[in-house]
Amino acid sequence: MQENDHSIVRAVLAGDKEAYGALVHAHSGSVFRVAFRMMGNEADAEEIVQEAFLRGYQRLESFQQRASFGTWVYRIAVNCALDRIKRPGIEAEYRAGDESDPEEKTVQVETQDADPERALLSREISAVQERAMQRLTPTEKTAFVLRHHEDRSVSEIAEVLGIAPNAAKNAVFRAVQKLRRELAPLRGMA
Amino acid sequence: MKHLSEEAMVELYYGEGEGDASAHVKACRECAAQYAELTQSLDAMSPVVVPAKDAQYGERVWQALEPRLIPYEKKARGWFGWSLSGWTGWKAATLALGCAMLLAVAFAGGRYWERITAKTENSAGNKNPQTTQPTVVVVLTDHLDRTERLLVALEHADSQDHVENAQLQSEARELLVSNRLYRTTAKHAKDPALAGALDRLEGVLAEIANDPNLTAEDLQRVRSEMNTQGILFEIRVLKTRTTDQGNKTNSGRGASI
Ligand SMILES: [Zn+2]
Repeated sequence: MQENDHSIVRAVLAGDKEAYGALVHAHSGSVFRVAFRMMGNEADAEEIVQEAFLRGYQRLESFQQRASFGTWVYRIAVNCALDRIKRPGIEAEYRAGDESDPEEKTVQVETQDADPERALLSREISAVQERAMQRLTPTEKTAFVLRHHEDRSVSEIAEVLGIAPNAAKNAVFRAVQKLRRELAPLRGMA
Repeated sequence: MKHLSEEAMVELYYGEGEGDASAHVKACRECAAQYAELTQSLDAMSPVVVPAKDAQYGERVWQALEPRLIPYEKKARGWFGWSLSGWTGWKAATLALGCAMLLAVAFAGGRYWERITAKTENSAGNKNPQTTQPTVVVVLTDHLDRTERLLVALEHADSQDHVENAQLQSEARELLVSNRLYRTTAKHAKDPALAGALDRLEGVLAEIANDPNLTAEDLQRVRSEMNTQGILFEIRVLKTRTTDQGNKTNSGRGASI
């Protein structure tokens, strides 16, 4: 797969624009997944996917042939999402979302309970969790999403964010600490 | 028996802890209880359900993207002025940025390398060590100076002054870029004291640089959570170290940096 990706990149750089379509087909799923986990909604995640593949195309000449294209475009997507989260307007909207519509927030998390009371409780927990996530800084949030939900190692997170491994490790740790603190009152409810 | 820190437990949870940590949790009741609690709370974080995308999703992304892409061949021709159109903008910008980055890396990396070389040659009895070192020390000292000023400003930044906070943030962004460069170089040059301090500093810079709307509370949080005073102290110690190096090479030459 990787070798194949590399030959596609060479073809694109040689002028075969259509060949890029194969890379988009192969990697849009994983890019969408991380974008959704970071942005929390489908519309923004889809925009991030577009932006990541566009930036990827524009920077294709800087793609190192020893790297994996999947990892490379994934990293671009995370940074696009991070840029987006950092924009004050979006961030304000993001935070304002806290109080607006708890229903909307909770559709994103798993509720497997058939029992309506338990489902309600689990939705409540999800809402608290979502709020706690919004209180993290963009770096902490990204580090946590990548570590906890995307199962990326600390060194991968450091590489994606362009920070030292120790800084990445600390960001994950601070996120965990804050989330635990925020979620502590719920302990025993679930 | 030394108990595990919360940090070590988080590492262990994510499978990145050291072997000793896992053995300790098995042997120590106290830590086992705390670890169980941590595991429970992290396990309880509901997984985010990502909406399923059908098989056509990739194709839809491509269809929306395709009209926005300019074939690479045509771009190459553009450099000779045959078909100059909208695409030249980003191409030129990318190239310019690339060149600037390369220059910056060559400059700072080269400077640092010169310092290391000068140090080696010095100890090997080279008679003319001062030809390169002072400039280098200036480059690193300048970074440390700016960093020190930023940390001092951070210590006193308790106003709601947005302009002041924005300045702090833009300075942090700039310093973050150069800091990465110095940290990597220091690491390669096997200078653990410098690399370690720059590493800790980078965490602080990233927090300030990446905060979308930096408030007084955010600054207070960075100060208390990231021990910025300790880092400021480290930077000051490092500054004396670099100044000493500069003075040593300058002695007898009269020039001062
Ligand atoms: Zn113990």
